[in-house]
Formats: sequence, C-alpha cells, structure tokens
Amino acid sequence: MRAAVPPLAEDSLRATVEGVARVVATEGDVAWLEPEQTTSCGGCAAAGACGAKGIGTIASRLAARRFSLPNDDGLEVGERVVVGIDEQSLVRGSLTAYAIPLLTMLGAGIVADQMVGDDGAVLVAAIAGLAVGLLVARFVAARLLARGDLAPRFLRRAGVGESCHSE
Amino acid sequence: MQEYILLMVGAALVNNVILARFLGLCSFMGVTTRVDTAIGMGASTTFVITVSAVINWAVEVYLLHPFGLGYLRTVAFILVIAAAVQFTELSVRKLSPPLFKLLGIYLPLITTNCAVLGVVLLLVEGHMSLINSTLFAFASSLGYSLVMVLFAGLRERLALAEVPRLFAGPPIGFITASLLALAFMGFSGMSTN
Repeated sequence: MRAAVPPLAEDSLRATVEGVARVVATEGDVAWLEPEQTTSCGGCAAAGACGAKGIGTIASRLAARRFSLPNDDGLEVGERVVVGIDEQSLVRGSLTAYAIPLLTMLGAGIVADQMVGDDGAVLVAAIAGLAVGLLVARFVAARLLARGDLAPRFLRRAGVGESCHSE
Repeated sequence: MQEYILLMVGAALVNNVILARFLGLCSFMGVTTRVDTAIGMGASTTFVITVSAVINWAVEVYLLHPFGLGYLRTVAFILVIAAAVQFTELSVRKLSPPLFKLLGIYLPLITTNCAVLGVVLLLVEGHMSLINSTLFAFASSLGYSLVMVLFAGLRERLALAEVPRLFAGPPIGFITASLLALAFMGFSGMSTN
C-alpha cells in the first residue's frame, strides 16, 4: 500500500516555530512570559528517570529564559499563550552562536599547525580563535537583535491541553 | 589539506557517530520530532563536542598521561564535558541574552549525551595530534547533526503519511532509522585504507 504524502508547500519551508509560554507578570503595556517547554525533547514517558528534565525545570533556568512582549491583547498573569519566531531565526541564531566561534577556532588552529606545527602553539591559537569568534558572535547577535530577528511574537492564546507538541 | 579532508569525511560519513557507532541514540530518537529542534540540538552539540575535544586533549596529554592517571580518564572527561556545557551556557548568556533565550533549551540535554563522551574517548584511542583531534571531533559532530536533521525531516514527512496503525509512532521511526543506517553503510565503500 502506497502512503499518500502531501507535497510540502513553499511557505512551510519558512514556517514559524511555535512554543507555549505562560504570562508571569505585566507592567503597563508589556507582558513578561516564561516558556513552558523546559527541555529540548519536551519530556516523555521516562521523564521521572531523565536527568534533562530536572535540569531544565529549575527556577533559575526558567527565569533566565524569561522574555517580554507588547501586551496589546490584554494578557493577564497566569494565561497560557502561543508565541512564535521565524524558523530561519533559529538557524541564524544557531549559526551565530556556535558556527562563528567554531570556525574561527578551527581556522586559527589550522593556521598555527601549518606555520608552527607544535601542538602547544595550536592549543594557544585555538583558544585565541575561540575568544575572537565569541566576540564576533556577540557583534553579529547584536545586529540580529536590532533587526528584530530574535524576538518572539504573540500568535494566539493557548487552548486547553495545547502544548508544544500538540498538532 | 587533503589529509584534513579525508579525516573529516571519514569521521562524518563513514564512521558516523549515530549510524555506525550507535552513540547519542537518546537524542536521535527524542529530539528529532521537528527539524528546528534537531538543528538547535545539532548546532549546540557540535560546539560542545569540538570544545570538549580540545580541552580533553590537553587534559590527556599534559595531565593524565604524564602522571599515569589513565584510570581517571572517564571521570575527568565527564567533568570536562560538564564544565564545557556550563562554559557554553554562560558565554551564550553573557554574549547575547536573546540567543540564550532562543537556544539555551538544548544545552542541559548535551551533558547527558553519550556521543560527547564517546567521541573524546575515541580520540584518546586514536593518538592523534591536537589539530587532527579537533577536526575529527568537529567532523564527527557535523555527521551527528546531519543525521539528526535528515531523520527529523523524514519524521516530519512520516507524520503526514498513512502508516499502518501498529507501526505508527516510534516503530516506524525505528524502521526509518534502520533504512537510514543501511544507506549510510554505502559510505563505507569510500574507505580505501
């Protein structure tokens, strides 16, 4: 039996990544939210025995990931809402945070290896390249932030039982 | 330069971390329900594996081997990996809080990812120079990310497909993973030496 697979629409390639967040405070026309999805896997039947679940749910991590939105829709504390960012933002963010420092580290290491050939020199060059890459990443991230690429936006109020993985 | 390229192709495709060495299977099945989570997890794991490889190489060559502390290798490497994850988290948080909000979710899971420890232990067995170790770790983690994204794409398509009821969910995921592993076995033909 041949499974019918619908073709991917063009706009699905530039989809919005959705997540559920809870409003924890409101200040004037600004709402502060904390994400509900606390691990990258979203939890599973083995959550009781999984180390990642506990690490992701401690209060300090949730507070560190708190973000604000313009409260144009009259959100109130305790409400669950669905927020989204452009899928491309995740790719750009990943490349900025991780690819730039890695490439500068590898590049500096390879140059040191070709020029000096000593492992100690390669180690120093790699660490220096990593530091430079982190600074460049900071600069690029600031530009992305200024363009609004990294800011989540309000999509809708979450329905009862709606979670990050509900279709 | 040719040596570097061969080393990287071998590590990423021929000896793929997930499909040839069977490491990191927890995240392979757990984080591949959506392509975006697979990309985030792959990128952060690539960073942590590569940085851990550099630090662990230094720990092995300058500390464990000279002082005959090889029996502490696993414990020492786990400590270094945990520290590398913390370093990554702190640096991303300090350098760009918005990026941390976007990507910080993937970092705790890396600490418990056996692919990270597996790759650095393989490096010790290989007795490679620092630059070769770093490139091997980088290419291994690229291979890990590649398989994660490929598999996530397949699972997104499978979610829309009419799968027999008994095979729906994880069973068809495992069947797909086995077919992907068979496809990657084709790369072993590239290994001539």
